[in-house]
Amino acid sequence: MADQNLKFLVVDDFSTMRRIVRNLLKELGYSNADEAEDGVIALAKLRSEHFDFVVSDWNMPNMDGLTLLQSIRADAALASLPVLMVTAEAKKENIIAAAQAGANGYIVKPFTAATLDEKLVKIFEKLGKK
Amino acid sequence: MDDNSVAGLQNNGMASSDALLSRVGHLTRTLHDSLSALGLDKTIQDAAQDMPDVTDRLNYVVEMTEKAAQRVLNATDMAIPLQERITVGASSLLNTWESFSQSPFNEQAYREKMEATMCFLRETVSDSDASKRQLMDIMMAQDFQDLTGQVIRKIIQLAHNLEVQLLQLLLDYAPLEIKRETNTGLLNGPQINPQNKEDVVSDQGQVDDLLSSLGF
Repeated sequence: MADQNLKFLVVDDFSTMRRIVRNLLKELGYSNADEAEDGVIALAKLRSEHFDFVVSDWNMPNMDGLTLLQSIRADAALASLPVLMVTAEAKKENIIAAAQAGANGYIVKPFTAATLDEKLVKIFEKLGKK
Repeated sequence: MDDNSVAGLQNNGMASSDALLSRVGHLTRTLHDSLSALGLDKTIQDAAQDMPDVTDRLNYVVEMTEKAAQRVLNATDMAIPLQERITVGASSLLNTWESFSQSPFNEQAYREKMEATMCFLRETVSDSDASKRQLMDIMMAQDFQDLTGQVIRKIIQLAHNLEVQLLQLLLDYAPLEIKRETNTGLLNGPQINPQNKEDVVSDQGQVDDLLSSLGF
């Protein structure tokens, strides 16, 4: 099990989904989380505070999740931050684009608590092996 | 009416229907050319294609909201009896212990009540666990709002585009008198020349009269 004090940033333009993801993270033992409603706000938060993990939607105004992911990977200070995409974009080309941009995981909405748990465990396992 | 005049009328009729056809043809051609020039033929084609897609999207919204509602109602159906069992069990135990505390101590009775209490506590642990699972399910059911929200936003965008295109088409091709009538919204701002318009008031007195005639 990963460190329970890990700080998560939940990025989604719908507040309902941000609340759901935060509640699920809390249920999984990660109660340290903050929210951002689009990529621009997320990037500003990531650059001004320390975060250990990003859970991001794709389709958002101002800056979408893919651009956010690319900006994180292009920023030397953030490049190694794990990013899990949680999105309704279910086309193969989306999933491939996210993988190529360096996403650590990809969950298609609607999703279950078990799926989130499974992906988080998988990501932490991989990161631990590195 | 002699034969000549009948033939003449028929000729006239033919001539006018030819003229009409030619005129319709001409208009169609002009309309087509103008639409192409404006780039509207493509957008209208897109709009026509978007329509069946809109139906599918709205059906998706209906399905998702229905599923979410069912899921929440199912969860409450399951959680309410669990909560009731906890309430009933706790109040009955409370009564038992209250009467026990008022009577002289009896070790046998004490052990029985302790057994019953532990049994209740075990049940409560599992009942509250189960009702928490239902609460989590109710929370997860709310994910429809994000998904249907995204779909509805797309439909709003589509409806807006269609409206703009149709309005433009109307403004470009409507006869002059219809053009004047198209401005019938509620956001017309100050009236430049109220005296010459039937449907516009020109002073506060007319406002008050109108309101009182309507019973306000």
